Amino acid sequence: MRKPPINRIATSAIKAWRITAIIYVSILWLLAIAVTVLFIILDVPIWFVFIIIAICLLSTYVFVFIFPKLRWSRWRYELFEQEIYIQHGILIMSRTLVPMIRVQHVDTKQGPILKKFQLASVTISTAATTHEIPALRMEDASNLRDQISALARVDEDDV
Amino acid sequence: MSSQRLHPITIVFTAIKTIKDAIIPIIAMFFASFQRIASTYIYLGVAIFLILLITFSILSWYRFSYRVENEELRIEYGIFIRNKRYISKNRIQSIDLTAGVVHRLFRLVQVQIETAGGGTDAEASLKAVKRVDGERLREALKITEIQVPVQAGESINPSRHVMLKNLFIAGSTSGSVGVILALFAFSFAKIEQFIPDRIFESTIEWLIGLSILFLFGLSLVILLFLWLLGIAGTIIKYGNFTIKKNNDELFITRGLLEKKQITIPLKRIQAVGIEENLIRQPLGYVSIFAEIAGGSMEKGEDFSTILFPIMKASEVDEFLQQFLPAYRAESNKVAPLPKRAAKFYLLRVSSLFIFGVIGMAYFLPSFVWVAVVLLALSLLLGFLRYRDGGYRLEGKCLTIRYRGISRRTVSMYQKRIQSLEKKQHKIQKIQKLATMKLSIIGTGGSGRHYALEHMDNEQANRLAGWYSFRNEKPKDKK
Repeated sequence: MRKPPINRIATSAIKAWRITAIIYVSILWLLAIAVTVLFIILDVPIWFVFIIIAICLLSTYVFVFIFPKLRWSRWRYELFEQEIYIQHGILIMSRTLVPMIRVQHVDTKQGPILKKFQLASVTISTAATTHEIPALRMEDASNLRDQISALARVDEDDV
Repeated sequence: MSSQRLHPITIVFTAIKTIKDAIIPIIAMFFASFQRIASTYIYLGVAIFLILLITFSILSWYRFSYRVENEELRIEYGIFIRNKRYISKNRIQSIDLTAGVVHRLFRLVQVQIETAGGGTDAEASLKAVKRVDGERLREALKITEIQVPVQAGESINPSRHVMLKNLFIAGSTSGSVGVILALFAFSFAKIEQFIPDRIFESTIEWLIGLSILFLFGLSLVILLFLWLLGIAGTIIKYGNFTIKKNNDELFITRGLLEKKQITIPLKRIQAVGIEENLIRQPLGYVSIFAEIAGGSMEKGEDFSTILFPIMKASEVDEFLQQFLPAYRAESNKVAPLPKRAAKFYLLRVSSLFIFGVIGMAYFLPSFVWVAVVLLALSLLLGFLRYRDGGYRLEGKCLTIRYRGISRRTVSMYQKRIQSLEKKQHKIQKIQKLATMKLSIIGTGGSGRHYALEHMDNEQANRLAGWYSFRNEKPKDKK
C-alpha cells in the first residue's frame, strides 16, 4: 500500500480514551482489592499480593498512559472520491480500503465520554463489514458522514 | 391458465399447523378447566373447536386460488378479507420446489416464490400442488430470455448428478469422522495403558477394571454408531444431488427423503471455492461451495452453499468450465508463500502444545509422549498451512488458498470484495510479511472474511493496489 492516510483524529481523543481506560482499570483494582482481602483472610503468603499489585500497576501504566497516545498516533484516515483509507492498530498495524460503491450506510454516534469532549465517532458499514473511525470533532464527524454518504452511490446490481 | 386450487391435502396441512400453533393455549385451557367444568362441556368444547378448525381449514383451502395471467402470478386468498397478490414475472428471483415425505407420497410439491425484497412480505408459497403443475408453473414464470437458445457450440443445459459411491465416500470422510477415527486408533492401541496393572490385583478392583473396559467398549460402539449415522445423514441430505445450469441460473435438486430444490442466479454468487478436508485430500476428493448474497441459510448448515458435495479433484476444472466459466480456477496453481513465513505458521499452531509438553514433563512424566505426539501433529498442521497458503491474480479475479483444518481455494472478483485490510505487526514488518484480510457477503447475508496470513509485503501491497478503486492516481509509490 502507498503512503499512510493524511488525516488524524482529534487530539482530545487521548483524554477520552484515558478516562475510558481509567474506568476499566478501576474495576481491575476493585477486583484486586477483593482478592487481596481474601488472601489475607486465608493466610496466603504475602508475595502473591505483591504480584497482583504489580500486575495492576503495570496494566494501569500501559492502558492509561501508553496505549491511548500510541493508539492516537497510529490512527489515520483519508477520504478519496472512490474509497476510504483507514489505518489503525497498536501492536498490529492495519490498513483498510473500503470502496465508496460498497458503502451501505454511515452513522455518527456519541457516548457520554465522547460527548464530554465534543467528539463523535463515524461508523461505515458495507454489506459484510463495519469500520469505525473513533473520536473526531463533532463537526468533522458530521461533515465526514455527509461526504461519504454523498460519495457512496449504491449500485444495486453488483450486490 | 385458468384459476387453480391447491391440492386438498392442504386442508390437512392447515389443520395440523393451526393445532401446532395453538397447542400450548389448548393444553393450558384444558388443565385450567379440568377440575371445575363437567366433562361433558369439555367434550363439547373440543367438538366445537374441531368443527371450527375443519371449517376454517376447508374454507381457507377453498378460497385460495392461483393463476398465471398477463406475465403475473396472481394469488387470491382469505376467508373474510379477500387478499389479491400479484407478483410480476420479472420481479421473481427464484422459484423453489420442495417435497417433504408427505408430499412425495402423493406426488406433490411445495412451491416457494421469492422476490428481491428482503422481507417476507412479497414471498408467495403454494403449500401443495401436483408435481407436474409445480413444474408447469415454474416454466410459466421463468423469465422469457431463458427460452432463447444459448450460444451455439456449448451443450445447452449442462447438468451433473452425484454418484452414490462418491456420496458414501463423502459421508465416511466428512469432517467429524477424522476425530472419531483418531479416537478409535488411539483407544485400540493404548487401551491397556489407561488401566494400570494393579487394578487387576484384587477382585473388586478387577470389577472396576471390567466396567472401565465396558465403558470403553460402549463408547467405541457409540462412536461407530455416530459414524454410520453421519454416513446415513450425508446420503439422505445429498442423495440424488443434481445441479443444472440454465443460462444465468443454477438449479440444485437434492435430498433423499425431503427433496429440496434451490435456484441460484449466477449474478448473486460472490465467491466460489473448493474444499478438501484432511481425509478427502489424499483420496483426491473435493467439494465445491459458493457464497451467495441473499440466499437463505439453512438449518444446520454452518457455512456456504454447497454447489457439489463430492467429486474427484481432477473433475473440478471441467465442472467449473461447464457451470461457472467465470470462475475457472486451475485449483493448484497459486503463488506460494515466502519461505520466511514458515516459522510464523509453525509457531502459531504449536505454541500451546510446547507449553503442554513442558507441563506434562513436569507433572505427569509418564504421559509426556501424548503431548509430544500432539506437538508433532500440530507442527505438521502448521507446515501444511504454510505449504498450502498462496494466492493468484488473474485480471479481476483473485484466488486465495489457505488451510484451517481443511484446505480451501476460494475465487472472487474484485467487485465482490467489500473491503480489504492489510495487517502487519512489528515482527512481520521486520520480516517484510503482512496478513491480508478480504471481506465479502456470505450466504445468509452476514459478512464472510478470508485471510491470507504472512504473505510477502510487496505482494500484499500489489494486491491492495489491484483492489484500490483509485486508479487514476499513480499508484506505485513503493
